[in-house]
Amino acid sequence: MAVTTVAKLVDTSLCIGCKACEVACQEWNDQEFTLGVFNNTYQTQPDLSPSFWNLIKFNEHVDDGVNSWLMAKYQCMHCADAGCIKACPAPGAIVQLPNGIVDFKQDNCIGCGYCITGCPFDVPRLSPTSKKVYKCSLCSDRVGAGMTPACIRTCPTNCLTFGSRTDLVQLASIRTAELKEDGFMDAGVYDGPGVGGTNVLYVLKHASEPEKYGLPKDPRIPWTVSLWKGPLKWVANAAFLGTALGAMLHYLKFGPQERHDDDTD
Amino acid sequence: MTTQIERFSFAERVSHWTSALCFLYAAFTGLALWSPRLFWLSGVFGGGETVRAWHPWAGLIFSVALGVMFKRWAGQMQLDQDDQVWLAKSHLYAQHIEAGIPESGRFNAGQKMMFWLQSASAFFLLLSGLVIWFPEVAPRSARLIAILLHPVCASVSMGGIIVHFYMSTLAVPGALSAMVHGTVSRGWARSHHGKWFREVDGR
Amino acid sequence: MTNGWCDIANADVVLVMGGNPAENHPVGFRFVMEAKRKRKAKLICVDPRFNRTAAVSDSYVPLRSGTDIAFLGGLIHYAIANDLCHMDYVRAHTNAAFLLQEGFAFNEGHFSGWSDEKKSYDKSTWQYELDGAGYAKVDATLENPRCVFQQMKRHYARYTPEKVAEICGCTAEDFKKAAAVICSTGRAGKVGTILYALGWTHHSHSVQLIHTAAMVQLLLGNIGLPGGGVNAQRGHANIQGSTDMGSWNMLPGYLRLPRANWQSFDDYIKATTPKPLRPDSMNYWANTPKFAASLLKSYYGPAARPENGFGYGWLPKLGETENQSWGFIFDRMHRKEMHGFISFGMNPVANGPNTEKMLEALARLDWLVVVENFETETAAFWNARQLGEKFYPKYVDPKAIQTEVILLPAACFAEKDGSFVNSSRWLQWKRAAVPPPGLAKPDHEIMARIFLAVRALYEKEGGKGMESLMAMQWNYAQPLAPSLEEVAREVNGRDVATGAQVPGFAALQADGSTSCGNWIYSGSWTEAGNQMARRGQEDPTGLGLFPNYAWSWPANRRILYNRASNDANGKPWSESHAAIRWNGAKWTGDTPDYKADADPHTFGAFIMLPEGVAKFYTTELAEGPFPEHYEPMESPVKNALHPNASANPCAPVMSSSADAMGTPDKYPYVAITYRLTEHFHYWTKHVASGAELQSNFFVELPEALANEKGIKGGDLVRVSSARGTVEGPAMVTQRMRALTVGGKTVYHVGIPIHWGFVGRVRGPLVNNLTPSAFDPNSGTPEYKGFLVNVEKL
Repeated sequence: MAVTTVAKLVDTSLCIGCKACEVACQEWNDQEFTLGVFNNTYQTQPDLSPSFWNLIKFNEHVDDGVNSWLMAKYQCMHCADAGCIKACPAPGAIVQLPNGIVDFKQDNCIGCGYCITGCPFDVPRLSPTSKKVYKCSLCSDRVGAGMTPACIRTCPTNCLTFGSRTDLVQLASIRTAELKEDGFMDAGVYDGPGVGGTNVLYVLKHASEPEKYGLPKDPRIPWTVSLWKGPLKWVANAAFLGTALGAMLHYLKFGPQERHDDDTD
Repeated sequence: MTTQIERFSFAERVSHWTSALCFLYAAFTGLALWSPRLFWLSGVFGGGETVRAWHPWAGLIFSVALGVMFKRWAGQMQLDQDDQVWLAKSHLYAQHIEAGIPESGRFNAGQKMMFWLQSASAFFLLLSGLVIWFPEVAPRSARLIAILLHPVCASVSMGGIIVHFYMSTLAVPGALSAMVHGTVSRGWARSHHGKWFREVDGR
Repeated sequence: MTNGWCDIANADVVLVMGGNPAENHPVGFRFVMEAKRKRKAKLICVDPRFNRTAAVSDSYVPLRSGTDIAFLGGLIHYAIANDLCHMDYVRAHTNAAFLLQEGFAFNEGHFSGWSDEKKSYDKSTWQYELDGAGYAKVDATLENPRCVFQQMKRHYARYTPEKVAEICGCTAEDFKKAAAVICSTGRAGKVGTILYALGWTHHSHSVQLIHTAAMVQLLLGNIGLPGGGVNAQRGHANIQGSTDMGSWNMLPGYLRLPRANWQSFDDYIKATTPKPLRPDSMNYWANTPKFAASLLKSYYGPAARPENGFGYGWLPKLGETENQSWGFIFDRMHRKEMHGFISFGMNPVANGPNTEKMLEALARLDWLVVVENFETETAAFWNARQLGEKFYPKYVDPKAIQTEVILLPAACFAEKDGSFVNSSRWLQWKRAAVPPPGLAKPDHEIMARIFLAVRALYEKEGGKGMESLMAMQWNYAQPLAPSLEEVAREVNGRDVATGAQVPGFAALQADGSTSCGNWIYSGSWTEAGNQMARRGQEDPTGLGLFPNYAWSWPANRRILYNRASNDANGKPWSESHAAIRWNGAKWTGDTPDYKADADPHTFGAFIMLPEGVAKFYTTELAEGPFPEHYEPMESPVKNALHPNASANPCAPVMSSSADAMGTPDKYPYVAITYRLTEHFHYWTKHVASGAELQSNFFVELPEALANEKGIKGGDLVRVSSARGTVEGPAMVTQRMRALTVGGKTVYHVGIPIHWGFVGRVRGPLVNNLTPSAFDPNSGTPEYKGFLVNVEKL
């Protein structure tokens, strides 16, 4: 039986930036609480860190004199076509579970950090102490035991929903339609078609400007990463073999260079 | 009268073989880090984490050793008029046809080309390598260039080294010995690097 | 709350004003989001800051702190002028038709009866015109110029949208847009709710402010209906419980505190039991003798007998006009009129206004007992200078302090059983999750130990007032550590003869045959067991009343005044919003706020009030029968309606050396203090997760003001008021706007409260800045809307 692809829906129109999900994430994953850095916003930390995998970004804007304060949860997007996996050299360090969760297995991680570059969302973080890379696992341990991810379990406004990707895509389109009815004509779903769809879906009021939420406009695995881990690999390997083969053929045909090396003449 | 003349000084040989060993380590571990299919190579060289930790150091030592060689040899590696002719007739050289190929100095034009190729590759490998070494510090745009530049340069360099390896072992008898022992026979010197032979022979 | 959290989901319009539920009540706020999603409800946020509630609102109107009455008064004018009132409701269920006496007037900021010397009102001209039977006269046509409706119309005629804009600093257009949405609920079938919190209560005119909100909701016919009401979002898990069980001016169940001029039980009953003002008024407070006698019976047990007024004489009594609210307690302490102070789950140094005065006051005590989970600022007050020299350079030198401080470690909420009473008035029973650490004990055990030790001392040594202590009933199974179950059963009340739990307050008697610790909680622990522990999730009405979940006071009623969701004949105003229904024999649905089997015509809908109907007009408050806009005690401008009566004329004024007030020439900016989602008061700075989420104290500044001062985000600034200063990094933001008030640009300075000189993360106490200004009715300090200056450091 095929395993259902799971997903998380972040309905940003319902997010109030309460940060309950941040605490739930920290607690479930046994992260040590540290102190935040003041950076002129309400954000807990300026950015994700190896021990902080789920950050609400507080995006302030004023357009034509109208304020907006767009809170958006920022964590691993669990891409179908995951840049981290593409970039990772160590088999088993990053796995895509049958349910779609992209999970880092630190036991297999060698700490090269390629996944950081491969990720179009700039999510994985390398720990300077353990030299392993960390990120949201969509609580694969909880999900495996039939539970809801910690962040979703704790969300007070139903901004976060967990379920099968198919169901959530449908729910997201319903919400989009509702928002359009409410006058947000630009409402839409953000699910990163460039990476084969993300298993973290967003409903945005301003879908044509995801940058306003701190999300990349058109997330794709960087072409340099694709080239590096794709065609270039084969071209180079072929070139090595070709060169070696050429040398062999040369030797067989022409043999070693024979010159008059005697000292007397 | 001794029949041997010094071709490579002790310092030159040390730096060459240091860079050679580091290159081999970095090359094989680099392949392991590049392709999951070749990740098994990391097992040969100390395991994944060790490889991740040592590869950049090997690269760094390689760069230093290469730097020493660069400093000593860069002046001698300038291409002159004869080198141009040599290069134009390199296909004859490959076929062991000596007629019409100008005599070489300490390094023939092919070696000079190899030198510049390896030096340039090493320079860019070092730059891009540093960027890849510290992903949390280097800006993303730099990393995106580096992860492409590094393997491209490494490939060019490794391709060159395969040629270098073939030439110095099988194709040109005596070359390996020169780099190992530091000396060559007068005859070998005269037949392979005529101009250089006359300079050092002083006659 | 008149209604409840779940009920917000029934609203069509949610006005959030004087509160910030998205930040401070995020869990309850889910019902606002549900209303938005499921009912397409419109959320309107009116606040000085574009806060997290504003971020998800449908419209946001900026407003100068302390001008809410002008805004709400503007809504009253707007609704009447544009014929948007629910007039059938107004006629049926309010005192709009009541006639006032000749002589009632309002002039230049004062109502009739004002005395400049006494700084108070003689309320005789405020009374209704009564008929021979003592009932108020009414004019059902509402045409009589002396009727409440016409008086109200006249009073608020001054509150035009332009005037509102001039006072509040919003634009008239913004106001009108919001007013149109809010007043769209002024008809059957549409219901709006108002959510407020400390943004309304922290003013020198806070009770009148909430009165204005009630008037708006009555005009729009939104009281008593699902999705309606005026809903206070309480700030602590059990603060509603603490209010219900008796605060500074009340005995449990909102019975009045005994005063010196009511020496006997009969005096007390006579003074505190209201008479009906209309023939059909049920006037439920007529039962006051039953509630009071049962309360005394629970205090004194067998010693409370009809002959001795149930021991009423033993109760301590306040002076005739004495005020023992927060500010006055500390004022007395500051004047060295107090020897000792027990601070139980309170942190006055941190949360009292004018920190320096608090510190000075505590330093003048002989002893201070602090019962707390942590060493709080209050427990460590003597060391403020050393712990936080950076922030409190001028505090009292510890060497000069002779106060003996005793810190008793108390169990926290998760370490003891008991009930929480939430904003919805639900009593929810909980069980201890973990035992208290170390020597910590639950509050009630600490209280019992103190009580028994003090009584033993009196027994040994004698002393003034010992009769009361000796007579007090203390018949718990474990006197040193009574179980909370026992206490809860006592609070519910029992039949003295049989010992059986009473089923509810209807069973209470005035003859001493019943005892009850709090009549409004009667029914919470009946013979059927602990009703508070119920967790049934049935919702038979589909309105989210959940009658079998926990227990709601009074009588498990979920929506107060629910009789008013029907018209005079008992027909629901709209089928979708009927909290109760009359089936010909009895009321069904929610527990009716009415006699359960009484025909709709029997009584007025508001059974608790002597009028039998809801009041636009009330004589109970100090500063007038209608709310009037008064400026905060410190204001950047004069009152645009009556410059010579600018601030609340009845607001108490303190006169110690620490009670300075500032003027706009030196302190030109309006400061507001507030809470952040990430913290709970001054507690969570002791907790790792809270400390992480907001580690740093900061000062929010409007970008325009910051630009004027050359301040960039993160720059250190000093904020000073006439009382003190705070320093911290500036958070420069466009979320706070420059407001134009009467042609003048007014800036707000926003300062979150949560830091102090103890805890994992530290910072200045905001109350260094706040004034000793108070509401005359509630005694609540004016923590919002005072004057400061800002400098770049």
